[in-house]
Formats: sequence, structure tokens, C-alpha cells
Amino acid sequence: MFRSSLINSLRYSNRASVCRSSQFLTPSTRLFSSCSVLKNSSASTEPSTAAPKKRKQLSRIAIGGSDSKKEKLRDASSIEFSTWKAGVLLLVVGSAMVYYFKKEKKRLDTQREAEANRGYGKPLIGGPFNLVDDNGKPFTEKNLLGKWSLVYFGFTHCPDICPDELDKMAIMLDKLEIDHNIDIQPIFITCDPARDSPEVMKEYLSEFHPKMIGLTGEYEDIKSTCKKYRVYFSTPKDVKPNQDYLVDHSIFFYLMDPEGQFVDALGRNYDENTAVEKIKQQVDAYIPKDQREKRKEGWFSFLYN
Amino acid sequence: MAWFGSSSEDNAKAPTRSTRKQCWDSRDKFFVCLDGLKIDNALDDSKQQEIKKHCAAQEKLFERDCAHSWVKYFKEQRFYAIKKERFIKEMEEQDASPLPLSGKK
Repeated sequence: MFRSSLINSLRYSNRASVCRSSQFLTPSTRLFSSCSVLKNSSASTEPSTAAPKKRKQLSRIAIGGSDSKKEKLRDASSIEFSTWKAGVLLLVVGSAMVYYFKKEKKRLDTQREAEANRGYGKPLIGGPFNLVDDNGKPFTEKNLLGKWSLVYFGFTHCPDICPDELDKMAIMLDKLEIDHNIDIQPIFITCDPARDSPEVMKEYLSEFHPKMIGLTGEYEDIKSTCKKYRVYFSTPKDVKPNQDYLVDHSIFFYLMDPEGQFVDALGRNYDENTAVEKIKQQVDAYIPKDQREKRKEGWFSFLYN
Repeated sequence: MAWFGSSSEDNAKAPTRSTRKQCWDSRDKFFVCLDGLKIDNALDDSKQQEIKKHCAAQEKLFERDCAHSWVKYFKEQRFYAIKKERFIKEMEEQDASPLPLSGKK
């Protein structure tokens, strides 16, 4: 629709210019009138009735011709008409381009940020761990491969923050899956291995989301995992399961890419909507490792650094 | 419903959504009572008698429905929240604007 009117307007302005040049070069009646017909058939009927009246002796206006002043005015208005369209076109195309480049820039920024977080050599956050899931089966960093994961640390006897955050996580998971078709593996790692056995974790997590995977393990394994994820770990070693105490823990969601590498941390300043946006951004910007490396060696590598 | 009560078996079990809600409700009722007395710090020794006198019933329910560690945590948290709010209000009255911290993206 828009395209055809655009082509018309271009044709239109072309015709107008042809007419003008013909008027200058050969002010012959026939050529000129044929031009005005081409231009606008309804407008051309008007001057043919008005012209003979105005024609004086020794007039420069050719017989059957029209007043050049009027013609000029009409020419100007037709140019104006086409520039108006061109202006709109410029605005539309321009803003579309600006939008596209901004979006692309954002995507590249996200990629750069993720790449910086992945780090080189030893990962800054994350790494090998050896835990058991809520079914008592082993769960290691290898289980992170092939899918996006969202990792959260907490404990089941947490008074208010963990349940709030887990509820938020459940909403995020549904939103990501239903609205954006993004499948995330949700992982809850306890900082309180003495009380949080696989059975306790399973029962606890069943109230939040069926997909939630709860990880627990030996005290030393949990401690080492917390350290690798830069989680402050304060749980005393020799507590008994029936003791009443609280433990400190980090309140970040860690987003891990399908290579099991850390790409982003989402704090409490994100609500379920902004967190979903942020995760979607990362998932959209994700490029597998081999392609990332190929790109670094490529011609346009400077764009990505 | 004393899930954190005297029986030590219960403590090994994780609190459920309903027990959490019950605890939070009792907590809120107790805090409303403290608001009425204009007591900010429920752990303040000098205020204990006043609390015992006016909010004994609410406190008892609060302690019944929440684990001991939670009771302490919530009391500390309330005092901290009140102090923080008061500080922010004071600063706003002095026309202070918060520092633009670049944490949020």
C-alpha cells in the first residue's frame, strides 16, 4: 500500500520536472499541454478555459497555452506535495533504521557483557560442583550443559526472602515459557545442608514450581559450590537438623548459558517483568562458543570488542 | 499447629506455605500492637514491660507460630526498616537526593 503510493509520488515528481524542462527549452503549446495532461488531468481543463481570456496582444502565452505564472504555482505545489511525501518517507525509514541500529547495538552490548562475564580460563562465577538433586541423584556442572539455567541459593527455613524470590522465579519461568518460548532449568541450591535433605527439598520446592530442581550435598561440597558462585556462606559446620538457626545467603539469580557458563546476575532490583526481559535479552543475544570464537578472528572482529 | 514448638522432630521439616502465612499473620498482628505503643525496637529491654502489659497475647501467638530464630529476625528487621524509612524521610526534608548508583541497568 505504502510502497505503491511512494512509487506514484516519485513518478509524479519526475513528470513535473520533465514538464518544467520542456517549458524552458521549447515553450511549444502542444508539448506543454500534453505535459499538463500527464500531470493532472483535472487541473489541465481549468487553464484551457481561463487562458484565452487573459491572452493579450503580443502576449508570450502561446495560443491554447496557459498562464505560465499559474503553471509555475501549480508546479511548485506539486513539488511541495512530493517533498511532503519524501519527508514522511525519510521520517519513517529514518526512525526504522534508528530503531534497528539501537536494537542491534543493545544486542551487541549484551553479548559483550555476557562474554566479559564468561571470562577467560577459570570462570569468575560458577565452575565444577558435585551435589545431589531432590531425588537423591548426583547433579554436577555437566547437568547445566545444553540448556539455560537460573541458579538461586537459599535454605528452606528462610523466613521471608527465599520464599518471595522463589515465587518470583516461578512466575518468571511461566512467563518465559508461555510468552517467549524459552525453557529454563530452575535450580535451588541450599546453603543449609544439615537440615535440607533431598526429601525436605523436594517437599519444599513442590509448593513453588514443578520444574524446580533442589540441590543439596555434603557440607564441604555445598561450601565449595557457594565459594565458586561467590555466595557468602556462614552456615556453622556442626549444627544438628533440629536446631533453630538462620543462615546468610546471596540473593542473586545466576543466569547460566547452555555451556554452563555464568552470563548474568539478577538482584532484587529486578521484578518478575524486568527479569524476564533481561533473560530474554541474553537468550536472544546468545551465540554458541564456536561461532563466538570464529567471529573474533573474522574481518569484523573490531565490532565485537 | 506448633510446627516449631517443643517437639524437635518438627524442626527438621521445612516450613510450608500455610505455616509461613500463619507466622506472617501473627507477626503482623503483633507489629500493629507495637505501632500502637509507638515502640520501634521490640528487642529493647526497657520496653519489655510495656510490651508484656499491652501486647502479651499477640506476642504469644507470634512466638507460637514462628520459629524462635524467625521471631528475632523479624523484630530486628522491623527496627531496621523503621530506622531506614525515618532516615530517608529526614534526608528528603533536607532536600537531599540519592546518589546515582550504577547498579541498576
